[in-house]
Amino acid sequence: MGLRDDVARVLISEKALQARVAELGQAINATYSDEDRPLLVCVLKGAFVFLADLARHLKMRHEMDFMEISSYGATTVSSGVVRILLDLEQNVEGRHVLIVEDIVDSGCTLDYITRNLRTRRPASLRVCTLLSKPSRREIDVPLDFVGFEVPDEFVVGYGLDFAEEYRNLPFIGILKERVYQGSE
Amino acid sequence: MRLPDAIERVLLDEETIAAQVRQLAAQIDADYGDPDDLVLVGVLKGAFIFLADLARHLTVPHHVDFIALSSYNRGTVSTGSVRLIMDTRVNVTGRQVLVVEDILDTGYTLDYLIRTFRARKPASLHTCVLISKPERRQVEVPVDYLGFEIPDVWVVGYGLDYADRFRTLPYIGVLKREVSVRRVAEEDGTAG
Repeated sequence: MGLRDDVARVLISEKALQARVAELGQAINATYSDEDRPLLVCVLKGAFVFLADLARHLKMRHEMDFMEISSYGATTVSSGVVRILLDLEQNVEGRHVLIVEDIVDSGCTLDYITRNLRTRRPASLRVCTLLSKPSRREIDVPLDFVGFEVPDEFVVGYGLDFAEEYRNLPFIGILKERVYQGSE
Repeated sequence: MRLPDAIERVLLDEETIAAQVRQLAAQIDADYGDPDDLVLVGVLKGAFIFLADLARHLTVPHHVDFIALSSYNRGTVSTGSVRLIMDTRVNVTGRQVLVVEDILDTGYTLDYLIRTFRARKPASLHTCVLISKPERRQVEVPVDYLGFEIPDVWVVGYGLDYADRFRTLPYIGVLKREVSVRRVAEEDGTAG
């Protein structure tokens, strides 16, 4: 059984993803200059595939850094408070920071990350997300670059996982209900 | 294609890299069969582009994890000591581990990783490296899957950086010698 058999349907094809990622790259190119030297902050693990493709379209001088976070458990969901497992290598004070996310769902985690980074006084702070699920939003977080708005479905692929599987599918698919129901 | 001023020439273009990454993925697929416990460990920051492309070509089921290291440098000269910044999330004991690295230079980092993981008793332990510079080797390390052997030139792009620059060029280019030499002089405190 391949991973693809667990996918009910393809929501965003590889071709559509690649075209949109190139467009996002152009939009980011138009926003920053070499002098801005933006710092792209990748939130692991989910965003690494998106970032790998997006960053290859960027023309201006830029740098990258990584954050890995983990939740403290169910009680912190609405506050968005997370444990930072890997903090940024770079000091972002006075820097132009662009957070790169795979998906914005409730917005709670992203809100927490932006509040955390803002305390470090960056020159600017923007957010680029591949996917957004507006119907799930609990906290309104401003998004500067959005790849696709998607319905409230269980999406996997292109970095997005279910129980650590499916991240490497080159497209975004909707997981069959039996797959995620079966594990509960 | 216009190259950045600091880049002398393209060593490996996008098509060449993509073809070799596909080839490596096919080998890994063939060797692992149908594992239920394979974890690819990408070494940050450099390996993330290679890992993102490699994983998308794999059909074998696998999980992805990351590890972050830094070396204790004296100027640009590695002392061979490695500091673990972030460990893997998953416990690799009893699992099949494939370490994914962008570049193998002195071998100190990969040697450290191999010894670290071996102590955790994985079911198997293999290494996949995109670029190797055999002339630079200080310590011998086993490489199971190798993309390219290259001469001792400073390369950037496809995850590889020079002072955090040029990491996301879609190709691998050779840095102009005067650029890397100037940097070494600055770090040694001998620059004018």
